[in-house]
Amino acid sequence: MTLVFYRRKRETNLDMINTEYIMHACPACGLLCDDISGDAIARQQFSCGKAAKFYARKTTDAQPQVDGRPVALADAVKAAAALLQQSKAPLVAGSSTDVHGARALVSLANHTGAAMTHLNASSTLRNMKVLQHRGWQTTTLTEVRNRADVILMIGTDVVTHNARFFERVVWVDEAMFTEPGARQIIYLGGDKLKTQAGVAPDGRAPQVIACPPEHLPEVVAALRALVMDKPVTGESVAGVAVNTLKTLAATLKAAKYATLVWVSKDLHYDHAELIIENITETVVALNQKTRAMGLSLGGSDGDTSVNYAHTWLNGVIIDAPNWQDHDVVVWVNSFSPEAMPAESEVPVIVLGAPDSKFSTPPAVFIPVATPGLDTGGQQFRVDGSVTLPLTAAKPSNVSTLSQVVAMIEKVLGNKGGEA
Amino acid sequence: MITLLKNAKVIDPAHNKNGVVQDIYIRDGRIIAKPADSEKIGQVFDVNGKIVMAGAIDMHSHIGGGKVNIARMLLPEYQEMRRMQEPEAHICGANCSHHATPNTTDTGMRYIEMGYTAAFEPAILAVNARQAHMEMGDTPMIDKGGYAMLGNDDYLLRLLSQNADQKAINDYVAWTLHATQTIGIKVVNPGGISAFKFNERRQDLDQQHSYYHITPRRILQALSRAVNELGIAKPLHVHCNNLGVAGNFQTTLDTMGASDGLPMHLTHIQFHSYGTEGDKKFSSAAANIAEAINKNKHITADVGQILFGQTVTASGDNMMQHLNAKVANPKKSVIMDIECDAGCGVVPFKYRDENYVNALQWAIGLEVFLSVDDPWRVFLTTDHPNGAPFTTYPHLIRLLMDKSFRNDAFDKLNLDAQAMSNLKSLDREYSLYEIATMTRSAPAKLIGLQDRGHLGVGAAADITVYTEQPDKEAMFAKPDLVFKDGELVVKEGKVVKVVWGATHTAKPAFDIGVEKDIKQYFDRYHTMQMQHFKISNDHIAEDGRNHVINHVQGA
Repeated sequence: MTLVFYRRKRETNLDMINTEYIMHACPACGLLCDDISGDAIARQQFSCGKAAKFYARKTTDAQPQVDGRPVALADAVKAAAALLQQSKAPLVAGSSTDVHGARALVSLANHTGAAMTHLNASSTLRNMKVLQHRGWQTTTLTEVRNRADVILMIGTDVVTHNARFFERVVWVDEAMFTEPGARQIIYLGGDKLKTQAGVAPDGRAPQVIACPPEHLPEVVAALRALVMDKPVTGESVAGVAVNTLKTLAATLKAAKYATLVWVSKDLHYDHAELIIENITETVVALNQKTRAMGLSLGGSDGDTSVNYAHTWLNGVIIDAPNWQDHDVVVWVNSFSPEAMPAESEVPVIVLGAPDSKFSTPPAVFIPVATPGLDTGGQQFRVDGSVTLPLTAAKPSNVSTLSQVVAMIEKVLGNKGGEA
Repeated sequence: MITLLKNAKVIDPAHNKNGVVQDIYIRDGRIIAKPADSEKIGQVFDVNGKIVMAGAIDMHSHIGGGKVNIARMLLPEYQEMRRMQEPEAHICGANCSHHATPNTTDTGMRYIEMGYTAAFEPAILAVNARQAHMEMGDTPMIDKGGYAMLGNDDYLLRLLSQNADQKAINDYVAWTLHATQTIGIKVVNPGGISAFKFNERRQDLDQQHSYYHITPRRILQALSRAVNELGIAKPLHVHCNNLGVAGNFQTTLDTMGASDGLPMHLTHIQFHSYGTEGDKKFSSAAANIAEAINKNKHITADVGQILFGQTVTASGDNMMQHLNAKVANPKKSVIMDIECDAGCGVVPFKYRDENYVNALQWAIGLEVFLSVDDPWRVFLTTDHPNGAPFTTYPHLIRLLMDKSFRNDAFDKLNLDAQAMSNLKSLDREYSLYEIATMTRSAPAKLIGLQDRGHLGVGAAADITVYTEQPDKEAMFAKPDLVFKDGELVVKEGKVVKVVWGATHTAKPAFDIGVEKDIKQYFDRYHTMQMQHFKISNDHIAEDGRNHVINHVQGA
């Protein structure tokens, strides 16, 4: 098998594809599928559009810029350091990177007295509010793969974010404790859901309980009440028949391992943490007598990695500070050339993917390597317990974020934390 | 360059030295014999009259990994903003921390300030080992290491249920140590974490697992035998079934017999020493447990002392933590099933001296300490942060060394609890030599760190210098000097130089053929490649701070 792999690689010889590892882990979403072969990359054969886009990127020939003019790396570093030196209140934002990059950014924030956030902070904090208020009871992908007999997706189709969830976790060939093809898939609420992925291999359609997103809070609250054996009066809740919800509650209670899935990004309205808490507390209620678990999916741009590393390094989770309170922004987008900051009055230093495209050139642009493409790294999967090594699928000599931050810190000198 | 500690009053139980006055010479991070007169001494510290011990080693402290970080996330209300001084500020800045949930910098700094130079994370989920090492890699000042959790992972349970031969188990255990870069094997509520996933709520030692039809006793036999036959120094680290349950002392006594006489370490035994006597059906069984430890020479134990105050309990034992979540304070908790490998439960706790159960837990821990005869077989731990943060160690040491201090504290306890404890009848006061044994020589011996925990020639120069004081809490809270690998890193209880320590591992020889089966298991059932499960030395050393020190096993 390995031989075939190498032979094909030589035949195609596209770019410089790393053959040191047989398989690469793909950081294009939080699922971190780690079955991407060099051969698949060479031939651009993927079952996921995000992976295809990620591995199609060309990251060569990037040039550092100051005010849109190409400059030497050392000059760009000096310009960035000068902006940070003058700044009274810098902000590190975007923060799309892996664990090593997160360490470097925490260090930079420490050296410059900067606040730090992530481009997905609002969806991350929606989950964190629930965790910090009540805690939760959750599971991970391999448990779901081997145990889940009922999978309830609330307000999400998952596949918009994690395209291969059903392929890799649900409709698998084998599971240790359940018959994968017999799993019961239920969608509750959501907007323009792609439910095709929920069709079983034998053609069995998933159950779809339609409900507009804005009514999900009421419907999930009613489901929780029914699971807790509280009386629910009336015939329908926000257009959903109470009898349908009663059947759903009974299905969850009868399951051997019910899995309740949500994607924080899909619950993007005011106080959506309350619906997440109703999901997680439904799980808590189920676990009094049977087994069920929550599963938060989605995740991208290293949001889990950055929040976790920030937490162990600083003792607290990431924050979502107000841009208006800051006079210089360091924007980091290691993974996606499209993840760009909103138009801003304040000078922006972009430490970004080499193929970043700008509508307005930032004050400073320094290309940084993409972990998993140009360079190695380590990344958290969206379920939080698993960390995978990222390997350089197409090694390049672009500086890593850690290297660039170290250069900037060197110019800044030893400010020694809170100066 | 040679460094000299002149006129050290050495307490080094590994060499039976109890207050011997001698000079200690250090070169290249190691203790050396007295050099020739012609050799230049670069640096002299006159420690005349000071007590000198090896750096302390915490053999059981939850310092990194999934559940520790969840605990940090869960409890923002206990984090306090602090302004750091140099050199700590250089790596940490204005950060937030609480002693129960310290950030990684805080962990290393607070340990070294107390003269501890190593700490071992006792519950590394194999699948989460990469995260644990990343956190430990960000923990400065001290050496680190960990014990990998087995015994609830479906791979092993399948082997046992299929009556696999011991060789297959041994190879898998050895492979796990290599893959996870750990130095020992732990089992948490053997079979119970797995059983919880099948909706079981208790797992007794001789009760068959509802799916695999094997008993926890069988798991303990297989793992203790594997550890022994592979020649791994660290005995199997056992968190017994029925943690925290009134009457669980019988399970603990029975567990001592489960390894058929092979060495076994029973951890946080205070939580497993409960009887059912009295009106409240909760009593101390410390005397039974201590008597059994004294009798069974193959058993070692650490205590897991509780001390009063706010903390958080972080355990792999999700089965028992799911029950404990009902008494969480504040009222929130995290329970997880993880990757057909293990689980975790994080439950905040506030231990209160006016509470009957908490007060008795405090007394039970101390009763165990004072009733186990051999300080080489009982270890000073609070199961940080589960019983109390590790920063309480100086206070705990004073409780052990100072009877009137201990009795004064006892008099403040819940009166019903006082009536149920014989603590005041225990007159024992630990000596400095015994404290040095249980915090230095014994943990190094237990884990198999031949060149740590003592001050002989060839040892790593991890050294702590104390001023002897009547108040032992004050003495152990603030050493005069601490040396890490020969470098002066703490002066008058303050860090003066930042170093990063190393990660200690055990990698016994094994038949790599086992990987064929393990890979097949990963390919059939897992959501990651076996290749990515394995952690390389390079990954440990990434970001340039850490490195692996492997200890040859079975030597």
